[in-house]
Amino acid sequence: MSRRLLVAFIVLAVAFMTGCYDRVDMENVAFPLTLGLDLDEKEDLIVYVIEPVFGEKIKKKSNEIAVKAQSLRQARGEFDRYSMGVFIGRQIQQILVGRRVLQHDGWFQLLDVFYRDAKNSLTPTVIAVDGPVSEFISLHSEDKPILPLFLNGMIESKSSYSETVKADLQDLHHQMFEKGITPVVSEIKYKKDVYLEGTTLLDHKGVYAASLNKDETIFLNILKKKSDIAHLSFNIPGVSAESPLVTGLLSFTVSEADTKIKTSFRDDRFRFEIKVDMPITLTERVFSYHVEKNKKDLEEIIAKQAEQKMIKLIKKIQKAKIDPIGLGLYARAYEYKSYKRVEEHWGEALSGAEIDVTVDVTITGSGPVR
Amino acid sequence: MKKYEFNEITLLQFICINLGIQVSVGALSLPQRLALKASTDGWMAIILMWAITIAASWIIIQIMKKYPDGTLPDLLSRYLGKWVGKAVALAAALYFLYYAYVVIVSTILYTKQWLLPRTPGEIIMLLFLIPAYAIASKGLRVIGRYAEVVILLSGWMLVIYMESFRDAYWLHLRPFFKEGWYPVIAALPEASLSFIGFASLFILYPFLQNKQQAFIGITVSSTLSMLVYLFTTIICFVYFSPDQIMQYNDPVVTILKVIKFRFVDRIEVLFISFYLFMFSLSWITTIYFSVFCTSWALGKQDHRGHLRILLFGAVAGTYFFMPTEQQKNQLEDLLMQIGIGFEYAFPVCLLIYLWLHERVLGRIKR
Repeated sequence: MSRRLLVAFIVLAVAFMTGCYDRVDMENVAFPLTLGLDLDEKEDLIVYVIEPVFGEKIKKKSNEIAVKAQSLRQARGEFDRYSMGVFIGRQIQQILVGRRVLQHDGWFQLLDVFYRDAKNSLTPTVIAVDGPVSEFISLHSEDKPILPLFLNGMIESKSSYSETVKADLQDLHHQMFEKGITPVVSEIKYKKDVYLEGTTLLDHKGVYAASLNKDETIFLNILKKKSDIAHLSFNIPGVSAESPLVTGLLSFTVSEADTKIKTSFRDDRFRFEIKVDMPITLTERVFSYHVEKNKKDLEEIIAKQAEQKMIKLIKKIQKAKIDPIGLGLYARAYEYKSYKRVEEHWGEALSGAEIDVTVDVTITGSGPVR
Repeated sequence: MKKYEFNEITLLQFICINLGIQVSVGALSLPQRLALKASTDGWMAIILMWAITIAASWIIIQIMKKYPDGTLPDLLSRYLGKWVGKAVALAAALYFLYYAYVVIVSTILYTKQWLLPRTPGEIIMLLFLIPAYAIASKGLRVIGRYAEVVILLSGWMLVIYMESFRDAYWLHLRPFFKEGWYPVIAALPEASLSFIGFASLFILYPFLQNKQQAFIGITVSSTLSMLVYLFTTIICFVYFSPDQIMQYNDPVVTILKVIKFRFVDRIEVLFISFYLFMFSLSWITTIYFSVFCTSWALGKQDHRGHLRILLFGAVAGTYFFMPTEQQKNQLEDLLMQIGIGFEYAFPVCLLIYLWLHERVLGRIKR
């Protein structure tokens, strides 16, 4: 008897308790891969998406939609009205943010839906666009994969060489909320085609503060201890140029640069002593030079140049009253009491800080040729 | 005479059951709750609370030693009379029931938030309780085996968290004792919510095969819980900024959101589903304790009748009332207070009383 009851119960359970309330059919969804945010001339928010299109007879590989909206969730409602399926945000690969948006504080709050709606992923990369986003959205290169995939590869590979950063939404959240650091995101530009500029630095409120080119970004990454490997080229002074092809250009690879930061607080200002150890391998030398004999000199010349460039970068940062390096983290860790007093306006405190940089270069290899 | 011989459990089962009760939903929000009180010094509260927990379990064992073949109600009815025993049995039943309810309600809310937002609460409750019945109805030994399997199957989850160390900022932990000792002490109650559950000793002690090992068992399980908490909390503290961690309700889950493997997307979904096994230990065992106590109080040998009534009541109750997120937090706060009373304060008082009882009134009055 009880066995029959059990069987009856199982049958009933199987019939009525399926967990199909949350089912989503693939046919009924649209997966946008790129999301774009920009302001038009009237300062209205325009939201763009690029979604891939699958189908044999369809020539275009992707579909772009632009709508006017006040928030992303509202924009999604608008997108749905243009689309066969329902938009699902979890496959978004990157979020393009136009310069005009970045010039207003509060834009970060627009991304709230990503953090609040658990179904969304926090992996999309945030990319700042120098110029209007629409240029990228309407771009259809015959000779390239669709923009979302192209940008994905571009950011992924360049960030591994420290030439830009790969800041996903989680990183951005960290940098926005942490008072001792300001956000850094990658920056692209339209220069006949998609062009990777370097990085965009934002201030504590997320407002655009400055842009860094490729070399500056490499130095920033070294200072942040985020650089595994980087390629640099320096002009070595004193090379006699009798042919226009002979320049003083020397290229090398920096691998595993080591940065040490000492923090102190004296005379009412923070002091940071930054010591960078840069082991380098030469990769190209387009002038004649006896490296073995003059190794020490060459190391010194490179170190001096790197030092100057880093100091220039730090001056730029201090002038903009931001802290993309995250020196605030050091200040909190080692000078807690003094930091707590200025924590709410750390960028300002840092602009008055004294920052010394010394670079130590070691040539670990000069290639298989002399 | 050994009353509970037929259902004896081994030391490993004992450890797994305890670990299962302790490491439950509290673990997911622990870093945030600690950070709110003590910023990144919160992890010290875990270690302090662990020491207190070991001390409290030692006290419970001293109590149980006075009557090694009986549970807490058995012991009390011997020392203080049948009615006191029954009253305490009912109180313990209510406590364990409340514990189970809070855990299961939080688990449902987690499931709804991360996995099945549109599925009604009572359906999820029913789906949780069917396996709970299958296991709890078979008695303690089966629960022990289930606990062993689940614990062994869940170990790998900690390894995935290692992935997050790559983006860690160890500077976030420094300096130690930012604002002195006070915030660390203030965070102790928050940590206690994650350690309570060792009151299981009151019931489990007579079932243990080798009672000399009880203290070793509870020490091992509390230490393992402590290590799990310490590990997840420190990972969250070095990964999230101290200014940021307050923004996340369940940092232990959120941290998984950026771990990306080529073959699986949204790994946190996988984790929450797997956590369900872990959490189930918590409610299956406490539900069993609860019906064990009520059956004892009413003098019934078979606990299954009460189990059926209780589970049916739970599903029916959820149909009419399902707590919201905020109400769940209030329930948890209340559990924390009751738990501190029942698991830390009550044993101390009881031990003092029993000690006085022996000294003043002679060994056994009745």
